[in-house]
Amino acid sequence: MHNESTIRMVDVAKSFGETKALRKCDFEAYAGEVHAIVGENGSGKSTMAKIMSGVLHPDAGKVTILGEQITSPVDAKRVGLATIFQEVLVAEEASVFDNLFVGRDGIFCSEGNTDDRWREAETILARLVGKPVDLNEVVGRLPLSIKQWIVIARAILRRPKVLILDESSAALDLDSTIRLHEEIDRMRASGATILIVTHRIAELVRIADRATILRDGVTVGVLEKHDITEANLLAMMTHSDRRASEAKDYASKGGAGAGAILTARNLATHRTAAVFDFDLPQGAIVGVAGLDGQGQDAFVRAVAGIAQPFGGDVQVRCADTGKMTSVGTLDEAARAGISYVSGDRKREGIFPQQSIFENLAIGVYRKNMGPLGVIRKPSLKPMFKREVDRLRIKIGSPSNKITSLSGGNQQKVLIGRAFANDPQVIVLNDPARGVDLGTKRDLYRELRIFADKGGSVIYLSSEIEEFIGFADRVDVFFAGRLFRSLSGGDIAEEPILAAMFGQSRNTSVEFDLERTA
Amino acid sequence: MSSNAIRQLARDRSLFVPAGLFIVLLAAVATRGHGLFTMNGIAGAILVATPLILTALAITPIVMAGRGAVDLSVGPLMGFINVTLITWLVGNGVTNPVAVIGWAIGLGAAFQLIQALVIIYVRVAPIIVTLSGFLVLSGINLMVMSRPGGVAPDWMLSWGAGTSVFSPVLFLLLVAYVVWAGLRRTMFYRNLRMTGSDERMAYTSGVPVDTVRIIAHVVGGAFTGLAALSYTSLISSGDPTQGSTYTLQAVTALVLGGASLSGGRGGALGSTLGAINMFLISYLLSTFNFGTVSGFVTQMAFGLILVGSLLVNVFVICRRAAA
Repeated sequence: MHNESTIRMVDVAKSFGETKALRKCDFEAYAGEVHAIVGENGSGKSTMAKIMSGVLHPDAGKVTILGEQITSPVDAKRVGLATIFQEVLVAEEASVFDNLFVGRDGIFCSEGNTDDRWREAETILARLVGKPVDLNEVVGRLPLSIKQWIVIARAILRRPKVLILDESSAALDLDSTIRLHEEIDRMRASGATILIVTHRIAELVRIADRATILRDGVTVGVLEKHDITEANLLAMMTHSDRRASEAKDYASKGGAGAGAILTARNLATHRTAAVFDFDLPQGAIVGVAGLDGQGQDAFVRAVAGIAQPFGGDVQVRCADTGKMTSVGTLDEAARAGISYVSGDRKREGIFPQQSIFENLAIGVYRKNMGPLGVIRKPSLKPMFKREVDRLRIKIGSPSNKITSLSGGNQQKVLIGRAFANDPQVIVLNDPARGVDLGTKRDLYRELRIFADKGGSVIYLSSEIEEFIGFADRVDVFFAGRLFRSLSGGDIAEEPILAAMFGQSRNTSVEFDLERTA
Repeated sequence: MSSNAIRQLARDRSLFVPAGLFIVLLAAVATRGHGLFTMNGIAGAILVATPLILTALAITPIVMAGRGAVDLSVGPLMGFINVTLITWLVGNGVTNPVAVIGWAIGLGAAFQLIQALVIIYVRVAPIIVTLSGFLVLSGINLMVMSRPGGVAPDWMLSWGAGTSVFSPVLFLLLVAYVVWAGLRRTMFYRNLRMTGSDERMAYTSGVPVDTVRIIAHVVGGAFTGLAALSYTSLISSGDPTQGSTYTLQAVTALVLGGASLSGGRGGALGSTLGAINMFLISYLLSTFNFGTVSGFVTQMAFGLILVGSLLVNVFVICRRAAA
């Protein structure tokens, strides 16, 4: 039935100090299959991918890849394994070409012909990005989405026998994900083993041939293609028969409060974009959607005071006086009660060298200063405990470094930081990127409670499913401006997708998801 | 291929400021007289500037390898090679050119190899390791030779005459450039830049980052050996303390040349321009009469021009690139 086995892990264990990332992990993958590794945050998926890549070494157990033991990334390269890590690892100062072929050669000798490589790189990158990319360009001057493609193309150009994608599609929009899937299909057909570590269940249901499920560092089961369904995966991941549909019960029970708490007039997201208006009703959760680079990102940044818009005015109702005041800077935004949570934890979120406590409380230090600017730490402790309990953050000691937490728990700390400021408006920029379902549910629930108490939420997401059963309104961006506002029954996959592609209202969506299956 | 190289040079905005400064300084020096633009003037300039150029070249690969690895030990290391050469070799009658040159290059490379191994395997921050190297060598130099003295080998005395442009000192410089150009053509240069830009990325992509770092240090050490030879021929004797002053000058030259102290960006051309610019600054100031404070004025000028060139880079070059 199966082809030959390419990866085998037996009884693998790995600890980081007190934390047991993997307890007893067994795994097997074959040539010519797409194999998904699924589990909640902190279940050990990324650790598993890093062990297979030779970046980490297991404490116990045996790992065989293509019949060999791997002890370093150099080894992995030799046997034909390539990994695309969660982080976008590029050398900003170097050219696209150098970034694509890093690590391919010996220390002194090149192992390939530059002209051949150039042609090959141009072809593959054009196919992935959807348009040609200048290989001479310095990577630091390219947008994030292209950087992500460079990282993916770097692995594909190696023609690996085993390819590991560790949450690599997290920053990709839907259109790009489809192109990535086409590439994966191509590689599967040529006999490669492709491992996908992902939280996007819809994505792996579509593409995976088999799935291995991890829970708390233990392999709990393997599903064959016909058994890979959302319900089955969820049941195994959480060990309860929670149904997927239950996750979508955070829609507004009552109507939104009267009056807009935040308004934007004649806003322009970039120099050439058309201007638009935006209103955020008090007590509402407004979703923001769009394909990559359609201005939604610039919009939420402008509203949060992170970056200046190219034109227009953002006003917020003052909590005390009820008057509208202009918000242009981060400081004004903070004073007006706007909190911002970024999904880009590494760059805009965590202080990696600081403790969990510091990371959560940093925003409220100024409000808790005693004489001579000494921070009254004891007065912050109840707040810390409240946020940790409320968001169900799994932590050891509060004085541990934030990096000791899994990605989802780090994100919860950042959301706790936003709540701690006692804001009127929370702006979230794709907070669920690389976050598991349990965390998402906690997040939806808390935001709904926040909205029911009169708070307002702007929620940008790259995953359409997030809005359904959660947002009161979804504003879809296209070509740099607010293209369409959807509410009620229109908050569903098809209408949102249609708006994202800029289609007029009554046309059916010519978008075949089966294309990738 | 050459048009491609020129295009890449034009893209490399880090060279704009040092090249511009070079032209301005050259013009300023010209207006102050033509002393520099004679055969003797240029020959003297090469003799004086070469130790600085070579020490700047020596720290270039080490800084490029990243981790904030500014090699502070370069000055005392040059001094150590200088005093041991005079005391241990010449003092014991060993004056064979092959032995002397081999000693200088071998000692530099060996010391840097040790530093690299400590940085990699003991996992101490490079700046701490090289700071220790600076302090230890500064002390040892005074133990080897308590005050300036001794004589360079006979064959070397003529090197420091400064009568011909095509002196052996120029040859030392050329050797360094040939080695660098050779390395640039190999994959090592790319591996070095990648390691310096993002070590994690390089490591996970399968670049042997430790080997790259070791080679960067060894090459830097060999260049320090060349620097020590040029320095010895400049002063024709041994000096246990003067070498140390070259550390900060070399770092200044490197930054003036547009290299990034956080790694990944830099090159021989930039470092050379930076060092020459420093030479021109002090030459220019020496044409004015500042009396006894001239040394202080030169130091201050280095500092001001360094800050100024960084400001120009940030506010003019980078702004324009972003627009």
